[in-house]
Amino acid sequence: MNQFISRTTIVARNRVLYVHESFLSSNCDNVFRTLNKVGLKTFCTNSVRLCEKKDNAGTSIDSQTKLPEQKEEQRVLKTEDRGTADRQADDNSKQLLAKSQQPKVDTGKSEKENLLDLLGAMKVEVTNKRKLKTMKRQQSIESAAQYKSKPADMESTISMFQKATEEASSQSETLSPDLVAAASAAAATLPNRSRAESELLRQLRERKTLTEAQKRGDMNNIGVIIADMKVGKNSNRQNAWPSDQIRFDEDGRGYTHDRGITGELAGVRKRRNLFQAKRLNIFSPGTEEDGIKAALAKPTLWDMEFAHQLCQSTNQMPRNGFEEMIQWTEEGKLWQYPINNEIGLEEEASVPFHEHIFLDKHLEQGFPQHGPVRHFMELVVAGLSRNPYLTVKQKKEHIDWFRDYFHHKEDVLNEADVYLT
Amino acid sequence: MAASGRHVGHYIQRNGRFLRVNLEGLWSNRSFGWTSALQQQAPEVKKDASESIVIPRKKTWNKIAVLEALASTVDRDPTAYPYQFQDDPYLSPRTSSEFKLFSLSQESGRSAAKFFVDSNPKFFTKDFAEPHIPCLMPESVSLRLEEVSEEALRERISLRKVTAAVDMYDQLLQAGTAVSMETTHDLLDLICLYCDRNPVQEGGPQAEEAEEAGEETKGRRGRTRRDIPKTPWKENNNAERIFNLLPERDSRCYSALIRGMVKHGAYAKAFSLYTDLLNDRLTGDVHLFNALILAAPELREKYNEKWELISELLNQMSQQKVHPDLLTFNSVLKALRRCGYVAKTKALSTLNEMKAVGISPSLATYDHILAAFYKSASSGPSNTEILLEVLTELEGTRLTCQDPDDVLFFSSAMRICLDGKDLELGYKVQNLLEVGDNWRLLGDSYQQSIYYGRFFNLLCMMEHIDVVLEWYRKIIPSRYYPNPQGMKDLLQALDTDSRLDMLPTIWKDIKSLGHDNKPDLVEELLALMAREEHSPEVQESFAACALNVKSVCDGRLSTEWSASALSHITTLLLRANKTQEAWEVLLVFKAKNRVPSEELLNSFLSACHSRGDSQGAVELVQLSAAFCLPATSGLASRALADFHLTEEQRAALSELEVAVESSDPKNQQEN
Repeated sequence: MNQFISRTTIVARNRVLYVHESFLSSNCDNVFRTLNKVGLKTFCTNSVRLCEKKDNAGTSIDSQTKLPEQKEEQRVLKTEDRGTADRQADDNSKQLLAKSQQPKVDTGKSEKENLLDLLGAMKVEVTNKRKLKTMKRQQSIESAAQYKSKPADMESTISMFQKATEEASSQSETLSPDLVAAASAAAATLPNRSRAESELLRQLRERKTLTEAQKRGDMNNIGVIIADMKVGKNSNRQNAWPSDQIRFDEDGRGYTHDRGITGELAGVRKRRNLFQAKRLNIFSPGTEEDGIKAALAKPTLWDMEFAHQLCQSTNQMPRNGFEEMIQWTEEGKLWQYPINNEIGLEEEASVPFHEHIFLDKHLEQGFPQHGPVRHFMELVVAGLSRNPYLTVKQKKEHIDWFRDYFHHKEDVLNEADVYLT
Repeated sequence: MAASGRHVGHYIQRNGRFLRVNLEGLWSNRSFGWTSALQQQAPEVKKDASESIVIPRKKTWNKIAVLEALASTVDRDPTAYPYQFQDDPYLSPRTSSEFKLFSLSQESGRSAAKFFVDSNPKFFTKDFAEPHIPCLMPESVSLRLEEVSEEALRERISLRKVTAAVDMYDQLLQAGTAVSMETTHDLLDLICLYCDRNPVQEGGPQAEEAEEAGEETKGRRGRTRRDIPKTPWKENNNAERIFNLLPERDSRCYSALIRGMVKHGAYAKAFSLYTDLLNDRLTGDVHLFNALILAAPELREKYNEKWELISELLNQMSQQKVHPDLLTFNSVLKALRRCGYVAKTKALSTLNEMKAVGISPSLATYDHILAAFYKSASSGPSNTEILLEVLTELEGTRLTCQDPDDVLFFSSAMRICLDGKDLELGYKVQNLLEVGDNWRLLGDSYQQSIYYGRFFNLLCMMEHIDVVLEWYRKIIPSRYYPNPQGMKDLLQALDTDSRLDMLPTIWKDIKSLGHDNKPDLVEELLALMAREEHSPEVQESFAACALNVKSVCDGRLSTEWSASALSHITTLLLRANKTQEAWEVLLVFKAKNRVPSEELLNSFLSACHSRGDSQGAVELVQLSAAFCLPATSGLASRALADFHLTEEQRAALSELEVAVESSDPKNQQEN
């Protein structure tokens, strides 16, 4: 709770808001009159309530709303109010989901007291996770579509709203329409749409009231405000997720951040690109040569170790048979795809086939031209030419062996008269 | 009606897609026709000039391209065991401990075989394979060259025998043989890498293997242990001795030593050696700087000073014209993690420096940045925002592992999602994981279980129960074996969305996951089942489940039944009109010295009444009297009033009623 308050205070301090003198008047009638005088640019707490009385018929403020004000003016006020609420939403975007209960305002009291009462009666409801989710889903829908889907009686309000926005934008602070869109989008997901929307907006507006109160030097009263404030939590289990105020969850995970609609919208606006910060300005972009030089260097033991570490950290077991086959292929255990009959015969790849088959030319030197030795060697060559398992080099070695052999035995052969040159 | 409408819509959508695909096909055919016609025209013009025919280049396929294409057609089957266990039905893990045990035993079996083959090469000389397969043949692990020569030294270095290599080097020096610079570099690398100790032989016997396995399973704890050097750098070890003996030292020698010192925890020494290097008017290499940057936070106390040292090192790098690489920046960011508040401002500028230099960040880079912005207790908006930024940056990219720390990204990203309770962001992380081969970056099984545990926790907290169950079936148990806490989260999610009728199936899973021996989990399950009344069918299944719980837990010797668990079981049985079984449970109360509540006895009596079982009622009252419960007299009088009793029973009951009344008059007043 303290956090909630302190945050509100911060919001209040940061924000410079437009406070109109008329607000100080103690009588609500006066407020309306001044409003008429000042035009549409005034922020008014009561005006929205005029339009939402169906839920709060009993409150004393209602009696005032029945004062002879023109209906049209009410509308204007309402829309204007939404415009201001919009502005308010800029600050309190995170608070959007919090809803407050209708405060009771006594006419007899001064406006300042009203404010305090207002806050005192404030009750922050909680919303559940499913609601949050639906909101998130709905949020993608265009705000325009949201407006169209509303009942006809809302349409006039919308046109007024647009007008009001235009007027409001002429003020010192410009309004962002997406905040209002967010408000209505959020409201559209709740069962009672119009009520929810107005509740949301009222909450925003009350925030502004607080801001103003503190701006006027009511800071010393903040203790009273806190004392009077009560936070109701629905016992219903569906509403187990506090949306806003205190976000220390039961599981003790600490202060959590709600990414509601407004949070997201704010994120879009404030979005900070990772790559927009300043750089260190130490290095200059490297040239290609560096990389090439590094690649040319022999891998050191450290590099091997690093590669091994990388491999270890990502090493995952194969998920299916094919992946296992990939692993085996990389280890060299498996015949490679696409199937190639000549795999593993790389050293023979450059040797043409006739080298394998026509081996007669190796008999030209060192062997007799005729006779049994020649005959024997021709048979050897014929056999070799049909042998697919030996390389050409091996075949030559084989023939060379016989050449040597017959040279060594030349004497014997000559004696037997079979070695003819 | 609505369903059929949806079907129609679905068909329209599908057909629409089909149509569009066809149209696109036609269109591309058409355009292709045009281009080919154009191409035909073009050569015709040229023909007269040169008559050149362009033969398309032969497409060469990678040897694993076919297999990769095939592998991409296989989807994961969430009902199957992991592929590695499919060979052997005995090795079908059901719990995480079994998974660990089986996968480690598989691995250790392989290593043992390899060790045996390598250490006994004489038995494995026959080479069956044609073409030759080197990895099936024994590797040479023993030294072959015995004489004192540089060749022998090289052999010792390549076999990573540190002490033998040092001995050989000393012998060479004594013999007066000069060792070439290259070999000296390798020797210094070897000594520094292993800190002057013989490395653990890969596939070596026992202890080493177990240690490696322990590191793998312990994961994060193992990681911190990895960061803390196991073997401290000793003063004047062989590396320093050899280094000091060198007639001339170049930057590689310095680099090897500095890297070794940083790796093994001698940070101050590393920096003093770096000053020596500068005094020798040499320039460092990138690895040296990477090591020094990692060591920088160890030397300074204050965050500012730490960063100043790092930036000074970076400036020196740029003065010495050393080009930084990915690891440089990752080291800077890793060092920044220990720089407190400085990290936030400097992390992003470091990232932008990377971009300016033209180095694309890896997952480890992002992990360090997230850590810089992560504060567990008070996660402000910035933390999830940064993660969102990172994920938008990474969306749909196929990642490769470039830094050993890359594998930590996913689990820490999911932690941020969990802490922020941000479901959308969690889904984004999961989507990134599902792109291409990114799942490989999830790390070992321990990291995986952390990641999926967090993801599942987030789902249970934030997601609708139907979606949670969908994920449950998808990832459990084929990818993740939840711990008892995870199951409790699931139970809570079921409770929140009031799908308690699922509980019996969940109980089956709890059993198969081996969590049925966790008393608090079992009790929570029973409490959820007993809390409210449900429809008769559901009650029936609950009762069956409760009986199952009871029989499973009775089968265990060490089960300590608590009174609440027993009364939950009894209540469930009573609601399903299983009075006989309920009576048996009541007897268990007696046997285990537990006292049933009055409420339970009353409801039991009502159940007896609805069945007209007067004998049961009498026995109940007798049981209650045996417990000396104050409620006995009330029960007895209720039984007397409601049941048609025989004389004997009536006598026994009224005796009990009176007995308790006399012993406890106050109780009577209450009744």
